Amino acid sequence: MRASSPSCPRLTCRPDGFGELMAFMRDRPLHFALAPLLCGLGASACTNTSNPTVANGACVVDPVAVDCTTDGFSAEALGLVPYSCTGESRPDQDPTYIDGVPQGLVCANQGAAGSDGTQGYCCSNRATPCAYNPVAICDSGTYGYQCRGADRPEALNDAIHCNQGVRQDDLVNYCCSGAQRAPGCAASQSLGCLAGMMGWTCPIGTLPTAQDLAANQSRADVYYQMCPVPTPAANPKYENFCCYTAGLVPPGGTCVQDIAVPNCQPGRFGIACYGPDKPDEDYPRLHCPDRGFAGVSAESYPATLYCCDFQ
Amino acid sequence: MAKQGNGLKVPKRQAHLSQARLPGFLWAVSLLGMGACGANDDIPAIDYVCGTESPDPTGPACGADDPNLPPEPQLPTDVCQTLTATKSAPTERDDGTDLDTDRIQAALLACKGRAVKLVSDGDNNAFVSAHLQLDSVTLWVDKGTTLYGSRNPALYQKTGNCGSIGISDSGACTDFLTVSGTSPAIVGDGVIDGQGGEPLIGRDYSWWQSSYALRAIDGSIGNPTMINSATNTTGLLLYRITLHNSAKFHVKLTSYPAGGVCSSPGKGFIVWGITILTPSRWTNSKGELLTPSFARNTDGVDPGEGSVAQCGVIACSTISTGDDQIAIKGGHLVSDLIVAHNHFGTGHGMSIGSETFGKDATRDGVAALGVENVNIYDLTIDADSRPVGYEAAASDFNGIRVKSDESRGGHVNNISYRDICMRDMTNAILVSTAYNPLFAGVLYPDFKKLEFHNIRHVTCKGAQRPVVTIEGFNAARPVGPVTLDNVIIDNVGPLDVAAEFANITLGPGDVNFTPAGLGVTVTDTRAEGSTPHACVFPKLPTPDVPAGWLR
Repeated sequence: MRASSPSCPRLTCRPDGFGELMAFMRDRPLHFALAPLLCGLGASACTNTSNPTVANGACVVDPVAVDCTTDGFSAEALGLVPYSCTGESRPDQDPTYIDGVPQGLVCANQGAAGSDGTQGYCCSNRATPCAYNPVAICDSGTYGYQCRGADRPEALNDAIHCNQGVRQDDLVNYCCSGAQRAPGCAASQSLGCLAGMMGWTCPIGTLPTAQDLAANQSRADVYYQMCPVPTPAANPKYENFCCYTAGLVPPGGTCVQDIAVPNCQPGRFGIACYGPDKPDEDYPRLHCPDRGFAGVSAESYPATLYCCDFQ
Repeated sequence: MAKQGNGLKVPKRQAHLSQARLPGFLWAVSLLGMGACGANDDIPAIDYVCGTESPDPTGPACGADDPNLPPEPQLPTDVCQTLTATKSAPTERDDGTDLDTDRIQAALLACKGRAVKLVSDGDNNAFVSAHLQLDSVTLWVDKGTTLYGSRNPALYQKTGNCGSIGISDSGACTDFLTVSGTSPAIVGDGVIDGQGGEPLIGRDYSWWQSSYALRAIDGSIGNPTMINSATNTTGLLLYRITLHNSAKFHVKLTSYPAGGVCSSPGKGFIVWGITILTPSRWTNSKGELLTPSFARNTDGVDPGEGSVAQCGVIACSTISTGDDQIAIKGGHLVSDLIVAHNHFGTGHGMSIGSETFGKDATRDGVAALGVENVNIYDLTIDADSRPVGYEAAASDFNGIRVKSDESRGGHVNNISYRDICMRDMTNAILVSTAYNPLFAGVLYPDFKKLEFHNIRHVTCKGAQRPVVTIEGFNAARPVGPVTLDNVIIDNVGPLDVAAEFANITLGPGDVNFTPAGLGVTVTDTRAEGSTPHACVFPKLPTPDVPAGWLR
């Protein structure tokens, strides 16, 4: 039996530029896979304790302060346990990996459980094949789990809500929250998108994801759609996109969408390539008439940058 | 749609079932190893029973003795126009310069309420056409005659992505045949061939290859559906027709009774005596191998895929294809269906879902949802009918399947599977609320009354044990009541049964396994004395073996 991963205090292991790295990591399983390893190394070098609840706060079962009633069912009926936690502690912060299979609690955060800064959680009452992932790259207000098998966290904890999963070998990464996901991008038929593309209106800083598609629209196992540099929307808090769902980048392909490519006009696809391949080799529907130029990708890595058009 | 790829469409408890999912030879080796070491005497050897191969059908016509069914339909007696073929086979000319589209469409328009018959003239036995619209008219394809779908994507273009490779756009193409109106029909002993495995005009790949390119991301290709009935269709009939090689789904079926009242079975639609065989050839014109697994997304008949499907009968048909043989879709509302006396070869199952989120609050003033009142009986599903291809996933071998997930889930209730025989499935019974666990949403599957009576699965040539999965969504949304009555899955072992969040009753007939798991309640009413359902597997249509191949 292989040892479990070390406890990883959340703030210790976060890389700089955490938020910006989010999109990058979702589409890069290798980097994602390395993250726990790096975290583990870092954790062993810094604060690592077999009892993190002592070092950085503590969690206690607290049915008084935290109400885990969900969908009209009692916490007991749903197999949920209410916790309140101080400091940085979470009830699920000590998962294990046994032969690569995660084991841990799945917890839905419930916000403040008191005026003293304690946080409430509703957690599964038994170990699940999911592990809390402190270094997951998730949107603000959400946190990560890494799960094995076909059980989404919602199947293991009725109080939690998770985003589209991202496969990483035998595991699936989720970003979750105890709160319902806020509305994201809305599909729009009125943007005048070219044939073959889908129109979206999104809050500024947001890209359309698979979970924004309606139930009657087919999805693929991809998180983001392929989108160009946005155009302004009538509401200044929003942006418009004409996007499409691209196929899998061929093995060895290094090009990724990058809506921050300098001087890429709105409506054109900014692409950053880390290797010698060209964008149209990885995305056959893109035509890139301009020569690439050396620059830095949105994730601050050296790359060759392109502006391309959908064809 | 019937989702594709299937890399993740596995029972939730797959991790616990890995032994059952070993490739056959590994499983055999593992058994040998155990036997040699004496490490585990509790795992019995696989017991092989093939069932009976039936001779040519004899006796009364299929369905004639079934009081649940309407009378067998009849071929039309009133033929408005007869069109004679001028081609012997589709050629490169089917790029739009020499198609039969215009003359067929003109006849269909002129013959509303009557029939247009396509017939052969000696060696000239082929029509080639692009998109056709059948509005309240019967298309009769005569015996020995084939209507081919053009291979030119430009003629089906809808969003700009039709025929493009590597783009997930399920609405990219128009249908081959769009059916609508009052009592439209496609009948006859001829063939409709979508040419899904043949190279597209001006391209070096086929419809199926463009779909296969999306398998890695589980994407959905927008290839033409062979037959799609529109939302205003009432009383649709498909009778005796043979369908080959659709580029995507063979039949997306929307139809309901005129007037909306289901006064007797079949008033909404009848599919009777049809044959679907896809692929119908072992190789295409370039010599490339064609297999069912390669023919991705080629569902057989999908009631409810486009809109409401009610009061229907699917009977006496034979379906072998590359995806679900039948997938009852609840994206709108599907209710009051009878699926009887059918025989399945290759495919992904007699399925319900994955869309089950439909709503219709108008019917009888009561909200009706998803899929309900479906009676499936006298069915054989035979994975041994033909090879499916080396690239097939184990999870593609499904018998009975009720599937959904939180991106598209809803109400499934009052479903009965009775007198079902299966052979060499990976998943004999799969009730799964996590069809694709990647997909997020708030449309949670809500599976209620499911009944399974007289179910038998035999292992004939398979090297692995069949799996039974019965899994509700979570503690708040368990599946049930589920009744298992005289359900005998040969060679199923404790490791091959996965269950969670389910309320299950066993009996009164024997059940040779006992589901257990998180949130599972079992009421055991099993009694002595039941006899396992006797299985007879008919010989199903398969492609002719090319000259020189071993038989």
